[in-house]
Amino acid sequence: MNEEKDVEEQPKPLVLEKLEAHHSDALLAQDEARGSVVLVVRKDQAYAVLEYLKTDPELAYTYLVDVTAVDNSQMESELMQFDYARFMVVYHLYSYQGQGRVRVKVPVHENDLRITSVTGLWQGANWLERETYDMFGIDFEGHPDLRRILMPDDFEGHPLRKDYPLRGRGERESFNFDKQNV
Amino acid sequence: MQGGLERATGEKMILSFGPQHPATHGTLRIVLELDGESVLKAIPHAGYLHTGFEKLGEHLDYNQYIVVTDRMNYLSPLSNNFGYVLAVEQLLGVEVTKRCQYIRILMAELSRLADHLLWLGTAALDLGAFSVFLYSFREREKLYSIFEKTTGARLTTSYTRVGGVLRDLYDGCEEDVRQFVTNFPKALKETHTLLTKNRIWMDRTKGVGAISADDAIGYGLTGPCLRATGIAHDIRKAEPYSSYEEVTFDVPVGTNGDAYDRYLVRMEEMIQSCGIVTQVLDNMPDGPVNLEDNKVTMPNKPDAYGHIEGLIHHFKIVMDGHGVQPPMGEHYCATESPNGELGFYIVSDGSGTAYRIRIRPPSFFHFQALPHMLEGGMVSDTVAVLGSLNVIAGELDR
Amino acid sequence: MGLDFVGQGAGETDGNIITTTIDKVVNWGRKNSLWPMPFGTACCAIEMMATLASKFDLSRFGSEAIRFSPRQSDLLIVSGRISIKMMPVLKRIYDQMPDPKWVISMGACASCGGVFDTYTLIQGVDQFIPVDVYIPGCPPRPEDLIDAVLQVQQKIASGAAPKGVEVVYE
Repeated sequence: MNEEKDVEEQPKPLVLEKLEAHHSDALLAQDEARGSVVLVVRKDQAYAVLEYLKTDPELAYTYLVDVTAVDNSQMESELMQFDYARFMVVYHLYSYQGQGRVRVKVPVHENDLRITSVTGLWQGANWLERETYDMFGIDFEGHPDLRRILMPDDFEGHPLRKDYPLRGRGERESFNFDKQNV
Repeated sequence: MQGGLERATGEKMILSFGPQHPATHGTLRIVLELDGESVLKAIPHAGYLHTGFEKLGEHLDYNQYIVVTDRMNYLSPLSNNFGYVLAVEQLLGVEVTKRCQYIRILMAELSRLADHLLWLGTAALDLGAFSVFLYSFREREKLYSIFEKTTGARLTTSYTRVGGVLRDLYDGCEEDVRQFVTNFPKALKETHTLLTKNRIWMDRTKGVGAISADDAIGYGLTGPCLRATGIAHDIRKAEPYSSYEEVTFDVPVGTNGDAYDRYLVRMEEMIQSCGIVTQVLDNMPDGPVNLEDNKVTMPNKPDAYGHIEGLIHHFKIVMDGHGVQPPMGEHYCATESPNGELGFYIVSDGSGTAYRIRIRPPSFFHFQALPHMLEGGMVSDTVAVLGSLNVIAGELDR
Repeated sequence: MGLDFVGQGAGETDGNIITTTIDKVVNWGRKNSLWPMPFGTACCAIEMMATLASKFDLSRFGSEAIRFSPRQSDLLIVSGRISIKMMPVLKRIYDQMPDPKWVISMGACASCGGVFDTYTLIQGVDQFIPVDVYIPGCPPRPEDLIDAVLQVQQKIASGAAPKGVEVVYE
């Protein structure tokens, strides 16, 4: 992150300026990579930052593009940088008012998988958070309906975690046809 | 809407709609709570076609994964191929040649036509207009033959490569495509005469499944479904990629955000795509198709067979643990696929395999917004609304 | 008329009587009026639609009467990827079809999992339901599907039992 050079070459994006003014203590890191602003935000203030990004009239990140997570357990550099938090919950936002794209990343430790749900801000977050729960086991607090979405209800485990084998744990060969509620 | 909630009698019925139902085009499932004919509550269920694309991306190298992208939105595989390699190239920090960019636009727009045509055929079929299905497939077969001559496959094209495309356009491609885009608007007119002012079609789609612009943004709707609500947002215009800024086209918008507007927007988009295709053919630059960067693209066959350097470069690209290796980092790249914003979020750890690939599919958001459009309506509207959204299970469930 | 297996009657009735067995007549009828139940889930379903549409026109072979209700069908075409969440549905649909019934497994994914060797995908539906004809390809061309329907017709005409029927020899 070569911040001095960035400042010289082009003006700082408005979103960074405003966040530094209002939520500077929430930011763990910031970056500008390939046309997108990247923010790493402390978990306890993630909701406040996202709410600010959405409701500020100048920024107006009203469109939640995506919510997902990354399991960093095999990515040593990321682990070291953020206090060995295994998961990184990633929000992509887009502003229809010309502020471009912003990516908000929130480190989540394995021993405390809770994070505040943003379903109150964007209706579209509902299924995205359900999918992240299904695939990674992140527990979104305040979510109205946190169930599995892609895997069957009686499935055990979280397939996109790095310790889950690609070919599964035998679930695709053995079936209990009576138990499944079709 | 007649019926309505005020006429509720307390007698409720639960109807499981799908996963095997002619209007679900595969594997969608909606559980409806009905009072007579009116829908009180609708709960869509996803996941019946979950295939593990994202997990697979962590085990295949960057060029192998192109094969998997074909099978996401299988109505328009070329658009998926395009969106994916664009993300990898931006992560690598390379830009393909001008001719390659134009070929990709050409193919993406033709596949947009193919996608909208199949949508048109099946949406009309669901509402009982069988001849539209046959008319659409007649045109789609012409596109299939162009795709097949270009890529070698009708449906699963795998046409793009990181740093280029599989091969240049075939001799006579320009004539074939020009002939198609000249005749296509006439063929589309037939459908217009069948549907656009058809009393039954209008009754079944006008005012059905409407969503406001604010709700559409809140639910993350993109593509024709967003534009039908009146928001003229198109990623090809807002964040042009791959030389889209060099072609001119209009972004059609609707006003009511209902099924009829979605139909009209898609119909007009097909005409605009024909215009883009013509411009691309008129201005198609000459020159090489693939990047001449030995770390990204394969050398020519004569080179690989005739020179030791060529042979080494060839091996380095295809060998496990070598090949295309983007630097450590992450990137999100969005393209305007026929259905809306198709995004690829790739995290690279510097090796030849992605550390994490996340696909942001447009259909996921459209299907999620379905209850908002259905509740309070009639049960027969379910088919019309679902048809107008064009939810593709392959990209919904991945 | 296609009744190549019938014999001519005796001379005094001027060939107006044809003799055959009831099985052969029934099989002849069955073979030319297969009602497919399309279980289309993914890419192969699009090629199946193309087979039914104007250019390839499956109705030339008597199988265009697509029925989405398993109780009215006798040919199940499994076209597309089957996930662990979908398999119970497929099994139930197969069970609901009346005998005799035939199954076509269309494409690589339905037959063996194809390129998707992942945690959620059934590696071949024949582990759970009996399959009569497999079609290779990803996806198979419409001609391949037509060929498979013709193979099912041949099988019916030959009097062989469907894969799903257990034949008891005494």
